[in-house]
Amino acid sequence: MRDLGIAIGSVMIALFAVLMVLACAGYSPGAVLTTWSAGAFGSTARIAASLQEAAPLLWCGLAAAIAFRAGALNIGVEGQFALGAVFAAGFATSWQVPGPAWLATTMALAAGAAAGALWAALALALERGRGVPLVLSTILLNLIAFGFASMLVERVFHDAATTAPQTAVIARDLRLPVWLVGVRLHIGAVAMETGVVAMHIGVVAAGLATVGLWLVQTRTALGFGWTVAGLNPLAGRIAGLPIERRRMQAMVLSGTLGGIAGACQVLGVTHVLSAGSSTSGSGYGFAGIAVALLGRLHPLGVLAAALFFGALDTGARQLERRLEIPHDLGEVVKGLVVAGVLVGVGIAAVLAARRGRADGKSDDA
Amino acid sequence: MNDALLIVLCAQALTSAVPLLLAGAGEMVAERAGVINVGIEGLMLIGACAGFAAAALSGSPWMGITAAIGAAMALNLIFSALTVWARAEQIVAGMALNLLALGATGTAWSVLQRHGHDALPSGAGFARGWSWLGADATRWLNDLPLIGPLLFGQYALLPLVGVLFIALASLDRRTRAGVVLRALGEAPDAVASAGLNVRRWRLGALLFAGACAGLAGAYLSLMRTHGFQPEMTGGKGFLVLALVIFGRWRLRGLSAACLGFGAVEALQQHLQGRGLTAAIPWQLFALAPYACALAALVFLSRGRAGPAALGKPW
Repeated sequence: MRDLGIAIGSVMIALFAVLMVLACAGYSPGAVLTTWSAGAFGSTARIAASLQEAAPLLWCGLAAAIAFRAGALNIGVEGQFALGAVFAAGFATSWQVPGPAWLATTMALAAGAAAGALWAALALALERGRGVPLVLSTILLNLIAFGFASMLVERVFHDAATTAPQTAVIARDLRLPVWLVGVRLHIGAVAMETGVVAMHIGVVAAGLATVGLWLVQTRTALGFGWTVAGLNPLAGRIAGLPIERRRMQAMVLSGTLGGIAGACQVLGVTHVLSAGSSTSGSGYGFAGIAVALLGRLHPLGVLAAALFFGALDTGARQLERRLEIPHDLGEVVKGLVVAGVLVGVGIAAVLAARRGRADGKSDDA
Repeated sequence: MNDALLIVLCAQALTSAVPLLLAGAGEMVAERAGVINVGIEGLMLIGACAGFAAAALSGSPWMGITAAIGAAMALNLIFSALTVWARAEQIVAGMALNLLALGATGTAWSVLQRHGHDALPSGAGFARGWSWLGADATRWLNDLPLIGPLLFGQYALLPLVGVLFIALASLDRRTRAGVVLRALGEAPDAVASAGLNVRRWRLGALLFAGACAGLAGAYLSLMRTHGFQPEMTGGKGFLVLALVIFGRWRLRGLSAACLGFGAVEALQQHLQGRGLTAAIPWQLFALAPYACALAALVFLSRGRAGPAALGKPW
């Protein structure tokens, strides 16, 4: 309940702050809000776009959350995403896998997931073997991953048919299956826009992964071990839990999810990678940290946070088209939300300590 | 390799090292005070953007410098509020700073472009050379063998960096402030029991770090490139974090590390300029500094503990 209050409070404050800034710049908050919500939820197509935008945020948010929860500060989801995308694209375009198309797609997804996992495992190995702090190695590995991914696109997975430094476009039957929904939704008296709504299946997979993680985290000893590794590793060790192994598992799983995020994005949405776009991050990995924080590191919370940020981004694009408000403002909201959550947690801790002191006094008396 | 080329490369290394030295000095002071700030990348970026915007709008490079320092200090004030007062996890707060800076500079850049302020008017950036010494002196200094091209062909921020490092070095052991700073990172409880306000001291250290990073950002947008690009810091701020570790949280080590990585960048630009990119992918040059930093961490970092209370909320 307290976490929910902190999350909602920080979202409110962040939105209020940005609306105030926009109001000072001469945009009426009402117009901004209606345009934004029309862009995010205005039709089935817009809702599908918001969901599709939420999917990579959800994968990356889960990745960050599971690592943070187990006390492994994985700042490297951004790089794991980049490598996941490039290996998935490479497998899907350069390798002729015999057998049905779905097998090739699965192989491409697995390649992306493995690339992310290995990149995370590398950071772990450096930490265990050479004492390099995880935060620092993952930050540097991000920057290395961008260059590496771009190099792979240009030199290894390059499309021989063009001179442009990019991979071939992923063949239609190798892409993630897209749901085509041609429906007319009626909500009350309002008939929503008809048309074909496309959304790739990775969006649903992300949702299922969330539920799976939630079950593991709340119902199994494994999930309990992850939580203890983050909250109180010493107590866990004394109780005989394999804390170090739990922390490593969480880190590798985090990298895997980051890789899957990249793979899904290229197999389901972009279908092609260029060397230029790979040199800087997609931004999803870093945004995932904000998603995880807002979701209070709880899978269901992360789901809600990813849906909110996904809607925020698609709505922000609409604001840019209609009102010429730069969509980067969405990033400002994310940063403010994280700041708000951190302040909220701090205030809650102070209040709890004060309450604890008050209780202690009453016990003495 | 002939001598002339060597001098050019050394001068280039120094030019590349300046932002690292500046931001590194700030980060080192903050870390000595017990606060690790991974948002240094964002601070540099906002410094570069604010400096560019103010200089482009006012036409005065000095307005740009002031704005860069002010913006980065303001952003680090938010970071201080999170980490020093709300006792938040410092790494996460730093990443929040990066997100904020990325969003704010992206937004500002779109607005600037839309209003046609996407380039610096002439005179709004700084030229190379120490022109404030006067035209005659500059000509004479530039003609000096070796140190002419090496030092006096640099941007005028270089002597300021020198002054900053000398000031920090003399502050280090000889003054009360130096001792307090060290103690803040090693044993904040001791500082508190000596009757000093730990939070206020840390705030001071962080504001200093913000000013340094903002100045480093302004160096990028007002001196080296005379322009702004989104994400133009390109990871330099993250590199600084590694450099502070190589320098063992000491000024001498930090300057050596920064100069070394300035040299890596200079060499990278030189080799890339010589058309080796056909044989060697350009991306290898782009990731070289970070790979070197990681390699150095792997091979040199054993037994290099930072300040004892680094990263711990107090």
